[in-house]
Amino acid sequence: MSQNNNETFNPFDPSAMFKDVRNAGMDAMAKTMVELVNTDAYAEATGAMLDAWLTSSGPFRKTLEQSMTQTLANLNLPTRDEVTRLAERMTNLEMRLDDIDAKLDDCLRALQSFSSPGKSKSSEGRKK
Amino acid sequence: MTDATTDTAPAEFKMPNFLDACTAWHQAAEKMQSFNRLTTTDAKIGQTPKELVWTLNKAKLYRYVPVVPEKDRKPVPLLMVFAIMNRPHVLDLRPGHSFVEYMLREGYDLYLMDWGEPGPEDAKLKFDDYVLDYLPRAIRKFKSVSGAKEFSILGWCLGALISTLYASLRPDDGLKNLILLTAPLDFSDKTAGGFTRWTSNAAFNPDLIVEKLGNVPGEMIDSGAKMLKPIENYLGSYLMLWDNIDNPKTVEAWHAMNTWVRDIIPMAGGAYQQLINEFYKENRLMEDSLVIRGEQVHLSHLKANLLNVIAEADHITPPCQSERVMELVGSQDKEVFRVRGGHIGIMAGRGAEKTTWPHIESWLAARSS
Repeated sequence: MSQNNNETFNPFDPSAMFKDVRNAGMDAMAKTMVELVNTDAYAEATGAMLDAWLTSSGPFRKTLEQSMTQTLANLNLPTRDEVTRLAERMTNLEMRLDDIDAKLDDCLRALQSFSSPGKSKSSEGRKK
Repeated sequence: MTDATTDTAPAEFKMPNFLDACTAWHQAAEKMQSFNRLTTTDAKIGQTPKELVWTLNKAKLYRYVPVVPEKDRKPVPLLMVFAIMNRPHVLDLRPGHSFVEYMLREGYDLYLMDWGEPGPEDAKLKFDDYVLDYLPRAIRKFKSVSGAKEFSILGWCLGALISTLYASLRPDDGLKNLILLTAPLDFSDKTAGGFTRWTSNAAFNPDLIVEKLGNVPGEMIDSGAKMLKPIENYLGSYLMLWDNIDNPKTVEAWHAMNTWVRDIIPMAGGAYQQLINEFYKENRLMEDSLVIRGEQVHLSHLKANLLNVIAEADHITPPCQSERVMELVGSQDKEVFRVRGGHIGIMAGRGAEKTTWPHIESWLAARSS
């Protein structure tokens, strides 16, 4: 770029040293890489690598989980599965609460429409 | 010194004296220090004041504090639904450059659906849950708080997919206007975009990923997205920062965007499996064979006014994935708006406040009375 050429070359600026070379090669490199990752060969290779990693690390992960579960059980501490199940139950409870909240909103709206006929107000005041 | 008239003259080598050398090295060290700080620290993003109005599990519904008096506000509130594998702060990136700020100034009663970060207990969450449990509940609360019977939704990326499914399954829920941003809906072209190509390959096994990992790690999704344009994402972005490190405006914008990009979250395993198998591989939504918790999804049931915003240079959701929906929806009032830019750039880039935001606002304003 002409702008760069106007500047005096500074050997102490590490970025300036390869800026022109970089700018020239960058677009071509970017285009090549985009083309590369958009090939079926790349898709197949990454899929196979991911598959191999997941399959090979499986037994190790399973052994680790088993020993951790055993250790936690010996220490009278809840395991990951138990905490997960508890969290799931919490979410179910939250949903039930949300249902009750919805019904309360309906009741409040109905009460408001009774108390001021013709005016159906929203339950603006009932914010969480 | 180089003559001012010879623009194309080659760089002239000048042997610096000791003082020049010290100054240059000092500047380079300072530059390096700033670079290191910017790439490893977080900027303040998502700063517009908001209040929490509803929560369920990790999902949260926020209402932004209005800045316009009630009498001047648009009567139809707007709910923003972002993707499930990123934080939604990109809608409110930094003061002075925030879609949220812009819409508040225009008088919208604005709400944000933040799906939160799924934990191991959420590994089985599917689109069924997001579309039929979480979103309708949030909308019920949103309608209750706003007092409005009609509302608008703006869905972005997978948030647009979720919004489309909701709008098709619950067309009589009061949804008046639907804005889709870079919506991945049609996967019939298996060569369009890296994601489609990778996931449609027989070697790619989403079931194994979910079986072994539960939720799909954010790092995996992030590196997948970055590998679509590896040079730009792994090198170009940092070189751009290095070149512009003395420009405070560019640095501020870069820092805010990088903070959002770095803040990665996992994706619920069930939803990931469903996304790859039922959408990317089998294209069920477009084939009219998608079933969400026993209910068949017909795009023809979608009746809301529709604005479909397509990014012309989108490498994550190529335009062809968002186009055909226009032929299939039942909406009478529908419009496609094409914007020059990428998946995120159309809403968070420098040109967004001059192109995308005003168009969305004017389209919505005409339909929010």
